[in-house]
Amino acid sequence: MTEQLDRRADTTRQQILRAASRQFARRPYSLVSLDDILADAEVTKGAMYFHFRSKHALAMAIIEHRFVLASASVNELLARKLSGLETLIDIVYLVAIEDIGDEIARAGLNLLESIGRTDGLQADVLGQWVDAFAAIAGKAIKDGDIIADRDAHGIAKLLVSMYLGLRQTSNLAEPDQFLCDLENVWALVLPGFVKPDRIDYLSQFIKRRTAVAQKKATPLAADALG
Amino acid sequence: MVRQARSEATRKKIITSAVELFNEIGYPATGLGDIIDRAEMTKGALYYHFDSKESLATAIIEEAGTRLAEAFLSISSSSAPALESMIHGVFVVADLMLTDQIARSGTQLLRAFGEFNDVAERTYGGWTAEMTKRTRQAIDEGDVRAELDPQAIGETIIGAMLGVELLASAITAGTDVLERVARAWQVLLPGIVSQESLAYFEEFLARESMRHSPAPLAE
Repeated sequence: MTEQLDRRADTTRQQILRAASRQFARRPYSLVSLDDILADAEVTKGAMYFHFRSKHALAMAIIEHRFVLASASVNELLARKLSGLETLIDIVYLVAIEDIGDEIARAGLNLLESIGRTDGLQADVLGQWVDAFAAIAGKAIKDGDIIADRDAHGIAKLLVSMYLGLRQTSNLAEPDQFLCDLENVWALVLPGFVKPDRIDYLSQFIKRRTAVAQKKATPLAADALG
Repeated sequence: MVRQARSEATRKKIITSAVELFNEIGYPATGLGDIIDRAEMTKGALYYHFDSKESLATAIIEEAGTRLAEAFLSISSSSAPALESMIHGVFVVADLMLTDQIARSGTQLLRAFGEFNDVAERTYGGWTAEMTKRTRQAIDEGDVRAELDPQAIGETIIGAMLGVELLASAITAGTDVLERVARAWQVLLPGIVSQESLAYFEEFLARESMRHSPAPLAE
């Protein structure tokens, strides 16, 4: 019996998270109210407060949920057994495609920017991203794609910063342009850590990923707000 | 529920034992009695799952086919260009052939039984269809020359890969299958890849080979 109730509670929680993501993906944190989310989620106020004590708690849950989903995607990419640097490139393009078209992904990253500085949340989440990237960059050094004495952790930090900065200076609502901008920043950073004789190949790898991503990416629906 | 799990475990045990014996003394020399002994179960338990050595062989072939197909499909994604996935997928399958006894055994049985059993037609047909589909995509993406016939390419690739496995099996007990796969693709690439992508794919193949090269033998 309790198992059934748990399942129902879980579905309600998911409903709320999805509705909240729909809002947070499109509007600033400060302008979204719990009432907006309630209307969208079609749950009672009681149900909402049972799961989330505050807007802030809800936002944190989205960030965490996004992180879990992203980790699963990363593991799937790692399982493909491409080289370290190719895997890193694939991960960044995956993040971009989801940021462009997936509400939870967009909300997760938007919220990280809005509320991330409280309680060291941003440092924690981004720290984990950087660590994960650093491990893969270490592999890329062993593969011989990255110059031997480069610091894996520094490269990881650069790539994470690169993406987070780009989603602010470029425009996620224009997928083709955004992906083109992403390709350009990759082209600029590669010579900083990639072995000269590998740059040509990896530049082409990146161009090809851009082409595939441009075909695949669909932007968030413009409205879908209550 | 529990009965199903036990039954499944028994079935697995029979298959594993059969594969071990086929590897050790060969299919013809292995009797059902040998398998029963190796699996440490009763005649009844075996006959519940398999009524003959042939049906056991078919099951192993099907299991092998499933594992190989899954390995190939698992690395393909919509985020990678089709020809890259095809080449990378083939290497992942070759890796599996080196490490998975059931995959290896099933492939050998498929060769031995192919003509007497429609499982071969189904299996090879499935693989060829998949490869042809990918080739079409690769043509759309501009990596494979547009004037070529996808079906011909799909069949050639599958044929070459099966041939590679056959030769590796016969000559080096399967140990150099990865090198042979790489060499086959070296020959195939100039025949199918578009002018503008050829240099890229030669590099792609070189990297793939390097990643899969065996560790140097100890002195």
